[in-house]
Amino acid sequence: MGTPPLRGVRVADFSWVWAGPYCTLQLAHLGAEVIRIETSLRPCVTRMLPPWADNQFGLNRSGYFNQYNQGKRSITLNLKHPQGVEVARRLIAKSDVLAHNFVRGVMEKFGLGYEEVRKIKPDIVMVALSGYGMTGPLSPYISYGPAQVPLAGFSALTGYEGGPPMHTAISYADPNAGIHAAFAVLAALYHRRRTGEGQFIDLSLWESATALTAEGLLEYQMSGREPARRGNRDPWMAPHGVFRCKDWPEPVGGGVVDRWVAIAVENDAQWRGLCRAMGRNELADDPRFASFESRKRHEAELDRIISEWTQRFSPQEVTEMLQKEGVPAYTCASNKELAEDPHLNARGYFVELEHPEVGVRMHAGIPWRLSRDTCRVESPAPLLGQHTEEVLTGLLGYSKADVVKLREMGAVQ
Amino acid sequence: MPGPLTGLKVIEIGEMVSAPYAAKLMADVGAEVIKVEQPEVGDPARRRGPFPRNEPHPEKSGLFLYLNANKLGITLNLASPRGMSLLERLVADADVLIHNFPPFEMDRLGLDFERLRRVNNRLVMTSITPFGMDGPNRNYRATNLVLWSAGGACYLNGAPQRPDLPPLAAFGQQAYYQAGAHAAVATMGAVLGRLAHGEGQHVEVSVQETVASILEMTFAFWPYAGMITTRLGQKPIQPLDVMECRDGYIYVCCVEEHQWQAFVELMGKPEWATEEIFSDRLKRAANWDALRPLLQEWVGQQSVQELYRKALDRKIPFAPVSTMGDLLSAEHLKARGFFVEIHHPEAGTYRYPGAPAKYSRTPWELRLPAPLLGQHNREIYVGRLKLSEAELKELEDAGVV
Repeated sequence: MGTPPLRGVRVADFSWVWAGPYCTLQLAHLGAEVIRIETSLRPCVTRMLPPWADNQFGLNRSGYFNQYNQGKRSITLNLKHPQGVEVARRLIAKSDVLAHNFVRGVMEKFGLGYEEVRKIKPDIVMVALSGYGMTGPLSPYISYGPAQVPLAGFSALTGYEGGPPMHTAISYADPNAGIHAAFAVLAALYHRRRTGEGQFIDLSLWESATALTAEGLLEYQMSGREPARRGNRDPWMAPHGVFRCKDWPEPVGGGVVDRWVAIAVENDAQWRGLCRAMGRNELADDPRFASFESRKRHEAELDRIISEWTQRFSPQEVTEMLQKEGVPAYTCASNKELAEDPHLNARGYFVELEHPEVGVRMHAGIPWRLSRDTCRVESPAPLLGQHTEEVLTGLLGYSKADVVKLREMGAVQ
Repeated sequence: MPGPLTGLKVIEIGEMVSAPYAAKLMADVGAEVIKVEQPEVGDPARRRGPFPRNEPHPEKSGLFLYLNANKLGITLNLASPRGMSLLERLVADADVLIHNFPPFEMDRLGLDFERLRRVNNRLVMTSITPFGMDGPNRNYRATNLVLWSAGGACYLNGAPQRPDLPPLAAFGQQAYYQAGAHAAVATMGAVLGRLAHGEGQHVEVSVQETVASILEMTFAFWPYAGMITTRLGQKPIQPLDVMECRDGYIYVCCVEEHQWQAFVELMGKPEWATEEIFSDRLKRAANWDALRPLLQEWVGQQSVQELYRKALDRKIPFAPVSTMGDLLSAEHLKARGFFVEIHHPEAGTYRYPGAPAKYSRTPWELRLPAPLLGQHNREIYVGRLKLSEAELKELEDAGVV
């Protein structure tokens, strides 16, 4: 058993909300020491958003913040105060990576643009995540992750057949930017370990999200037409959809009644498996459904037949019956069903660490495992400013009296 | 200056999206990726399309062409013992092997980390599997829709006013794209670990868990507040919604108070905006059914681009609902040189998404179009592995390559 691979790598994390914190979460998962620079004057957006533990608001009680800041530390600095910036500069001098997700110009305003930062730490890897990037005509404008989903083409492509463009519900452009930024940082660290050179990485949420709509962009160019929205259907699989199951026996989790299961049939063998599971072997030979082409032609009727069957069972029951026949299917999981998923629990996916304010809560964990350099979430998300004293007096060499003074002058807050 | 991973040797045995996307991320920043495909049939992405004029052709699938540019392509039948021993010879000289066979396929082929590690103990082997390498459902069959659902993302999306419609998946194979990107991160972690201690290791990535990792605040609603987050329920804050303009769609996004105030001013301070039930973002969410039609009425009279520019100038982060045509002609993306044109000898010339991140010193770079099936067999088998032409011919005749 080794130590995590980024042990010894320090990240000065000026990022907030979701995209940047998702990037630095990956680095924390890999063993980096991630120090978030926060301020109580303007707490991280996610500290201000629900859900709060037991519906009681508190800056340390948000499940959103506590999910994506696991394993990090937090110090509070006022970067509008010159002494606050001075502390930040000392931290940067001792860091390997700097991450932020401000619009172009904000870090420069603090005197912490890349040109300045590289003077403090020449081999630093600095990554900037922003909606529009650091160059180009729209770069001065702010943007939010949720708006980048439609901007990148996802909404035009996502929707029910014949219906209007839809969102993806989650602010997909954020974690997507975060994971691409994490990859870029690791690639740059690899280059640095071999050459000693640092560099600046400019990542735009728009571009990193558009990288994942390539199928639509190519369909448009190859056919000359805007792709049609097609709900949950697939051009090469039928049936292919999310089907209604038996309701919860009574409303759960704030009034929810409906449950759903996803089913996808890739080939004729799986279709026959589906017929067996439904106890409808006669359908396997029905000419309306015998081949992919005919199933596609009669897809509405097909969906109706399957839906009648799935509504007699829970999604877990349908999943089990279909998987037994080799048919791809799984519960279309709500957060409750995910938390209770026997498979994820058997794999130890969820993280349940004692947090000083909210106690033990379930959090999503690390979606990968390394066989040698074991990685685990080492601590719960930090309280706001929890590590200010420790980082300033330990790592940065301030005395306790200095810290008191910095607090009094408003540089630390 | 070449990309940051120049010199890193990657073998990809990938099908469709997940492993190919992970290897693409590495290839685009300088790694040498040898893509191994099954003789005759190749990667199923070759049969997925989209195709020029909608005519299927194995060298003209848009998805394949996008995911496999910058790679060398060889064919190899892993189900034959000679195929597996050739793979071992390739692995002997590689840094990374990345694949997305599910566990039962790995078992069938005998593709196993311990076996490959005996050939090369510095090898990082990355396995992207639907549900992970262990656990009761390890051998469950899955597709992208099934995994987007199993990870909890699908359940969240839909039309609140239409409970009869099912949860709606996002366009494209996003569960697999995310698994690929997360796998690239975990793989680079292992590669960096190797720089420190010199040993390879096995990296396993679960697609289901990857999806469960990107659910924003929605998962936490259960452990923190005992609430199920659903497509039918109200959002925590509003406005965040697609609305129709007179000439297209726009995303109305103004969740900070100053953004809301600027939007109200832009609308000419309508009287209803002072109502108590719309007085903060939580109330605007709780009363969205009442607020949405009022906003839609005003937005419906605007043009997308004008409203977008007016909003940006007031620091309100609206965005147009881009069509594919809009994206390909966007001035901002042009100014940043985002799209890259690739000429492929069979498929022709199209514009593809380019760098997801711009490196100041070691740039993202397009070097090669996607390989034809088996295009680099001679270069790799004869050039690298030092087989004779006669041996290569014999392997071809036997269907091994």
